[in-house]
Amino acid sequence: MSRLSYFVRRTAITVGLIFLVASALFFFFRAMPGDYSSLLIQQGMNPEQIAQLRADWGLDEPIYVQYYEYITNLLTGNAGQSFRFSQPVWELVAPRILNSFVLVAPAITATYIVGGLFGAYIGRRRGSPLEKSGIISVSVFHSIPDFFLGIMLIALFSSTLGIFPTSGMLSPATMLQVQDQAYWQRFLLPEFWRHYTLPFMTVLLYFMQYPTLIMRNSVVEVSDQEYLHYHRLKGLPESKLLRKIIRHASLPVITLYPISLAASISGLVLIEVVFNWPGIGQLLVSSVLARDFPVIQFVFLIAATWVIIGNFLVDLLYGVLDPRVSVAGDED
Amino acid sequence: MTDPILEFEDVDIRYRTEKGNDVHAVNDASFSINRHDYFGLVGESGCGKSTIADAIVGGLDANGEVTSGTIRYKGEEIQDYSEKEFNRNVRWKEISVIPQSSMNSLDPVMKLSNQAVEMAKYHTDLTKTEAVDRLRELFEVVGLSESRIHDYPHQFSGGMQQRAIIAFALYLRPSLIIADEPTTALDVIMQDQIIDYINGLKDDWDISMLMITHDISVVFENCDSMAVMHGGQVAETGSVVDVFDRPRHPYAILLQNAFPDVRFPDRELAVIDGHPPQLRGEVDFCTFADRCPWAKPECREGAPDPQAVAGDDDHQAWCIRADEMEELAADHLDRNATEESILEGER
Repeated sequence: MSRLSYFVRRTAITVGLIFLVASALFFFFRAMPGDYSSLLIQQGMNPEQIAQLRADWGLDEPIYVQYYEYITNLLTGNAGQSFRFSQPVWELVAPRILNSFVLVAPAITATYIVGGLFGAYIGRRRGSPLEKSGIISVSVFHSIPDFFLGIMLIALFSSTLGIFPTSGMLSPATMLQVQDQAYWQRFLLPEFWRHYTLPFMTVLLYFMQYPTLIMRNSVVEVSDQEYLHYHRLKGLPESKLLRKIIRHASLPVITLYPISLAASISGLVLIEVVFNWPGIGQLLVSSVLARDFPVIQFVFLIAATWVIIGNFLVDLLYGVLDPRVSVAGDED
Repeated sequence: MTDPILEFEDVDIRYRTEKGNDVHAVNDASFSINRHDYFGLVGESGCGKSTIADAIVGGLDANGEVTSGTIRYKGEEIQDYSEKEFNRNVRWKEISVIPQSSMNSLDPVMKLSNQAVEMAKYHTDLTKTEAVDRLRELFEVVGLSESRIHDYPHQFSGGMQQRAIIAFALYLRPSLIIADEPTTALDVIMQDQIIDYINGLKDDWDISMLMITHDISVVFENCDSMAVMHGGQVAETGSVVDVFDRPRHPYAILLQNAFPDVRFPDRELAVIDGHPPQLRGEVDFCTFADRCPWAKPECREGAPDPQAVAGDDDHQAWCIRADEMEELAADHLDRNATEESILEGER
């Protein structure tokens, strides 16, 4: 099988998976107890009004018709209407995705860079006090629930020291000012960065454990490999050996990075809630509380899609980084 | 008369450890390898064989160090060379290595051609194309198809990787090759091929070899002279014929009797009691004393000095009772043989 047909096949599987997830979400939500439209129905409505409402939303159609509508709408970029805001779901979700991305992508990236380097550093100093305290501290930060870590940081840096604001992305006044400007212009405001620091730190501290421990183990393992000893015998200088160790050892960390990033973009619900960050996680929580099903359903779909695409990218990336992972039957 | 290419003189090698009780991996080791000779170094796991190999090419782990003694290559002391000097003058150009476990020694994410280019970069002024061409020639020499030089190691079988490793060892036309267990991971047929091949190098390439192994038969078949090591000390050294016919160190005697011999198929195999010693702290005793049937209190009071074996050239045993060993061993092994056969009868 050539690389191209592997790519095509892998892409088809990815698309199929996303379709399956979309279908499963549709049927799960309709299989749930309670009426799908319960948010719309208000006290004092008479049966005719309710029937009218259900017809308006298409909920009186047989389920396969609803399913067909749902899928064709999704394909044309229509994710439905929010019950709560009577606004297209996509319009509601899109800016939230952007807000989440702005927080999570740099934070997770920084986590993997800092954690990877730190893990490599302590991996090279196996058995040292620094290694032991390093492992313990990253584990402690990951053992604390992330929302509690956030609250502690707020207590320390906002309430006690007063250095950073407690929550939000911008103060409400500034928010009104920048509303009509291009999104990136808020990055120019120092105020944005002061709001940004604490949630960023929370993500960094909480997620440091994965890359640090994986990199540390990986460095320890690679350092003992025969091929490294052979490189040393051949006279490669220490700096070059170190680069080779990092090159080999970072493979598992690089694999984890896109998956972790994809899972986090929609998954940092509690951190967003604690810091009142207007991201997709926060939207999810408020929508669940309001039983705004179309929004919840779509956010879940987005979350699953990120993870599926993340895995897909890892598969492709791995084939490039490690020649041993070849496409099945890819012998010449 | 003798023309040594590599000499070890009273070499000590230590590994520093965190808690300060260093591992004295090699103690007072002395032997010499003559030009154009194949020299076998045998001993059990952990006796310091591979440490010696690493020390010769300056490849000791970061915490290892030659603490005293001299290593001379063609008369030059090389143990204090800087990395740079060593790379420019000795490593791979004069002394190259066939490493232990060839199957895992090639970098799995580099094409073989790139590994050659990388090696050339640190030792020569060859251009990339020249470096690849040279590997191509050597692939032909070791019997690999030259169309495969751009392959990755995992695309090779174990035997092919071994050949590639030999091609790398010959890459800069060295005078001395250190083969650290060159055949351990291979099946017997491949072992035989590789050993034949290595033997062929002697005349074709005018090479001397230090062959490190725990397989005495490999040494017996292929080497001119040898050393036996135990617990970081050289126990006995001499020509292969001398050491086999007139062993004078108890370990060499027992080791020889622990291997089956086609000439005496019915002989009982000797068992060497005890365990390899821990080499933490100062080693100022014979490390074989605790396992030796003939140990005397003096054996534990100082490291033994080499005793020349009368009548042989360059045959030495590091045992204070070397002179009496022949008789002692004859008695002991006879008695042992009868004991064993009584046990056999009861079963």
